[in-house]
Amino acid sequence: MLRACLRLLRPAGRTAFHTIHLADGLTRAQHRRGARAGPVAVACSRPHTQLLGAAGFVDVRETDLTPEFASVTRAWMESYDAHRPELEALLGRDTFVARQAERRSQLGAIEAGLLRRSMLVASRP
Amino acid sequence: MAPEGTKAERQTLDRFIARYGVGQNEATRAVELAVIGGDWGANGYTTLAQADVLGQVLGLEPGTRLLDLGSGRGWPGLYLAKRHGCTAVLSDLPVEALRAGAARARAEKVSGRVGSVLASARHLPFTPDSFDAIVHTDVLC
Repeated sequence: MLRACLRLLRPAGRTAFHTIHLADGLTRAQHRRGARAGPVAVACSRPHTQLLGAAGFVDVRETDLTPEFASVTRAWMESYDAHRPELEALLGRDTFVARQAERRSQLGAIEAGLLRRSMLVASRP
Repeated sequence: MAPEGTKAERQTLDRFIARYGVGQNEATRAVELAVIGGDWGANGYTTLAQADVLGQVLGLEPGTRLLDLGSGRGWPGLYLAKRHGCTAVLSDLPVEALRAGAARARAEKVSGRVGSVLASARHLPFTPDSFDAIVHTDVLC
């Protein structure tokens, strides 16, 4: 996808994106826990800065957004709980409960230092 | 459209199709406002403040051609187009999400410069050099 983005950008065009990823230096057990708690493709094999470089991008910059990632995950949980009756009526109880469980698992993985979120910015030469 | 991607990716797509098939109500809007800081149909982790930073680093302004990959209901691409006056193409697979984005673009009176394309990020139907800026939030993961 990154190579496709490079092709679609005009010369000197820029891409900026957010992505969730596993922290560096995890044990196998931590890696498994983080991968289970995060989105489906979170266990990307290489850092996104490397992937961008390999795709041909330059001026690659990464900014850590993990503290906000934790606070927003917590905010989703709290706000969902605050509106539980209306949301259960809309989504169904099973979906409501499942989403909250996913968020709880994800928040645990963030707070354990397993999951991180970053902003990446890069340019086409 | 033939199924594509890994089994896990197809399952994720099915989940999003189901998610976007459910409408919104006052409660979902109140939740999004409290969590994200806006009510643009967001359901992820990019806050309004973070979307504003994306707009700044991309240098968006009137005339900029922006592509939002995995745009969902239009977050953040539609918001960025409204805020910065740029053109935007919203691209995703769940058609209900794109319909919601198109409706919001009409409501915001920006549909003349915001379009929607039903496309997978694996197969983008655009010619080279089509865009000045490309944004996506939590699509690669």
